[in-house]
Amino acid sequence: MSKTTNKRNGKFRTKSISTILYPVLFGVIIVVLWQTQILHKIIGADTFTLPLPGRILGIIQDNVPGIAKNVVATVIVAVGGLILGSLLGYLLAIVATIFPKWGSGGLTIVSAFNAIPIIAIAPILNNLTKDFSKDPNIRSMLAKMLVVMLTCTVSMSINAFRGFNELKPFSEDLMKSYAASKVTVFMKLRIPNSLPYVFTALRVSVPASVISALVSEYFAEYIIGVGRQIRENIVLAQYATAWAYILVACFIGIIMYVILLITEGILLKGRR
Amino acid sequence: MKNLSMKKAITLILVLAMTVTLFAGCGNESSASNEVTPTAAAEATAAAEATSAPAGDESTGAYYAADATAESIVLDAAAKGQVGNWGLGNEYEVQALLSKYGQPTTYLSQAFDMDGFDDDTILLASAMTYNELGLVKNSYDGAYGYGDSVKYIDMNDEGVAMLEDNIFTTKEFAEANPNTVKAFIYASMQGWQYACEHPEEAAEIVYKYGSSVSSDHQAYMASEVKKLVETDMSGATVTNYGNMDESAMQQTLDLAKQYISLDDSQAADALQALTLADIMDASYWEAASASDGTFDAPEKTDVSIQLKWLPQAQFMGYYVALDKGYYTNVGLNVTIVQGGGDIGETTAVYTGQVDFGVTWVSNLIAANAGGMNLVEISQVFQRSGLVLVYKINE
Amino acid sequence: MKRIKKFFQSNNLVTLVWGIGLIIVWEIGAFIIEGSKRSPENVLPHLYQIVASVFSDKLVSNNQTAIQIVMSNAGITLFRAGIGFVIGAAVGFLLALMMNLVKGVEKTIFPYLMIIQMIPILGMAPIVLAITKDINKSRIVIAAILTFYPVATNTLAGFKSVDPQKHELMYSIAASKFEIYRKLLIPSSIPYLFTGLKIAAPMAITASILVDTLQGGGGLGCMLSQSLRHAMSIYVFWQIVFVSAIIGILSYYLMSVIEKLVSPYKRAKIKG
Repeated sequence: MSKTTNKRNGKFRTKSISTILYPVLFGVIIVVLWQTQILHKIIGADTFTLPLPGRILGIIQDNVPGIAKNVVATVIVAVGGLILGSLLGYLLAIVATIFPKWGSGGLTIVSAFNAIPIIAIAPILNNLTKDFSKDPNIRSMLAKMLVVMLTCTVSMSINAFRGFNELKPFSEDLMKSYAASKVTVFMKLRIPNSLPYVFTALRVSVPASVISALVSEYFAEYIIGVGRQIRENIVLAQYATAWAYILVACFIGIIMYVILLITEGILLKGRR
Repeated sequence: MKNLSMKKAITLILVLAMTVTLFAGCGNESSASNEVTPTAAAEATAAAEATSAPAGDESTGAYYAADATAESIVLDAAAKGQVGNWGLGNEYEVQALLSKYGQPTTYLSQAFDMDGFDDDTILLASAMTYNELGLVKNSYDGAYGYGDSVKYIDMNDEGVAMLEDNIFTTKEFAEANPNTVKAFIYASMQGWQYACEHPEEAAEIVYKYGSSVSSDHQAYMASEVKKLVETDMSGATVTNYGNMDESAMQQTLDLAKQYISLDDSQAADALQALTLADIMDASYWEAASASDGTFDAPEKTDVSIQLKWLPQAQFMGYYVALDKGYYTNVGLNVTIVQGGGDIGETTAVYTGQVDFGVTWVSNLIAANAGGMNLVEISQVFQRSGLVLVYKINE
Repeated sequence: MKRIKKFFQSNNLVTLVWGIGLIIVWEIGAFIIEGSKRSPENVLPHLYQIVASVFSDKLVSNNQTAIQIVMSNAGITLFRAGIGFVIGAAVGFLLALMMNLVKGVEKTIFPYLMIIQMIPILGMAPIVLAITKDINKSRIVIAAILTFYPVATNTLAGFKSVDPQKHELMYSIAASKFEIYRKLLIPSSIPYLFTGLKIAAPMAITASILVDTLQGGGGLGCMLSQSLRHAMSIYVFWQIVFVSAIIGILSYYLMSVIEKLVSPYKRAKIKG
């Protein structure tokens, strides 16, 4: 027993080393090309539209408190919307599985919401949430969260629905042969089966939640957030500062994604 | 330094407030707004009390008395945190006005529309005389129909006006193509002159060139734009179209230096070092206005100009010049490129996508601070079109 | 054939019921708004008002009625979205294939695929513009960039979901790598590919609308922001909201139809 775990650990270690090493090496190459402006020559951009990494990092260094304030606002919106949207999507998938005939129609309606662009949803939600709070910061945060929620619901509901229904062959029949109740089938078979699908959905939703949080900030009533800063600086042609915020946005996404991967690794350990 | 530590403190409070409200479930009516800038709010109320007679003047209604002073209205709206502007480089005049009356320079973000003003979340809303103000007052499709129940504070009267629509290009282009630049200015100003003499016809012409603005609003816009082109900041009539008034430019530059805040220290230093010579060159306009319409062969005949927004009467001069053949007369083949997005006209001109652009002077200043090499060659709007509109009690 | 027809009919009924439910919710909202706001048509108009604006022959701008404006611009947007989607889906599938073929590639580029999704369009646009030198080409490229990720992740998940026993079976009959892909991996990844496509298709449309707003020159996004500025009837905005949602649903349906055509065995299973 102990031998196998050891072996597994060893394998896991070399695996995880290459998992980190490869992308880091690739990243270093890109950054070197970028800083030496070879990248600019390859893609034909100049240092104004694609500023050098050194300058971008310098700006981040100079503005830590200001950036932190914006990051907090963006993270609250992205995470809040992600959680709300994923829960709603999962719930919808459950409903759709219990009532398959009615549920799939509902999923279509949900996906229709996803087809409305954020730039159209954001102003509607801004107006609809006006009475929610007297404080513009709070109510615009709610509006932004709802936008993120809508973008996260769809991929979760579609994937989770698949997870509930694409069971291993005969497993459902087996449960039935044990005379298991519908609830038992759900708890013991469907929900565990849906887990990998949930993570597939989250792998799409996590980047999507960050990006839609950024876009929803463009239109929010209260001026705060990484997205708003990116827009302000792009419009003012301050590309170096805009890229500083873009870099920060990427970091938010990466950190959220890494957290997701770690969680996935822990929860799905026995399965792979 | 003091400012920085204050910013830090505010950040901390803000973060705390947000975390608390998040944990509280966001559901209850929070008083976080008061916590956000406690000092600023306290100062504001103190100031409001000190100057006495805050807006309303004890008269009935939630809005302002018809005869309330600009100062009392600004103080009241700022204290309530209900001053609105679009941001994105349009906010400096409003910030200058807030500073003038000793208020913090924070403002609410106004969306594309005037809905925030309509539903009273913004008491003192930014509006361009030729666009939003018309939408608020008039009652055609899309407009809000407030009529005379709104009044406004004019930035020109308050001495915080900044210049807006101009024509600019890059320094390299101007130096390499002086004849093209002069001919372009000459024909454009001919267009503006005709447009201002015949605003209704100009509105029709713009409408013909693929406008997405309703014809009623277009006509209103043309009549208001005419005023901005033919009147300077002090209200005096301007007859030489496109005149580059140095004192107005200097006022714009001074305010820009004060209120454009850049996170990039390199750009911020560059901003403070800017002089009028770095952002404008009147020689082309002077040559054009002294000319009788004959120019040496233009170095480049196919040129393009990018507007600041979609086609509307704000840009009627260029469309009239195109329609009436003024550009052809001086040997130019001009393409008018629609603006109207977040890739600004400054970037488009800088990257060489287009040759000329129409932008606000403050945007040009910010772009040059960021490292561009743009130069204004003619100033079309002679006064600020920005006003702060408010409702009055019936 | 008859049974298929019946299946479709019942499905349509379900969607219809959902749609009616949504209409009721909307109308309740509209009545509340109508009572409490000065300009309810900006916040949430009645549906019949929107429908009326579709059939109204009043010229909104430039000799076009509201619906003519919306439809002509929808064509422009849809064209860009279609090209972007095809490019994005193809790139996504090829990337997934490449990542599954060479493990090193997956480890190296997968994190960066995610990061690319994090870069806001606004930051990306000036660089893409510098490369393509043409705003309309940039719009297509950006729409493609925004759609390939769900396709790539889902297809990769499909490759990985293949039962190891089946893999071993293929090895035991000494199948070549090419054959394993052709006979086993690609067919079994198809349901996953379509999950990705179903998410990506509406995304391509929203992305295309979003990139319309980068600059003028037509497209739903341009008209949407113009209408939001009240430069013309606000109902143009509301029509765009619905048109974009309808196009989104249709794109989703289109993918479902194609899925059923491509994988007939699934049809039997769903009905089973």
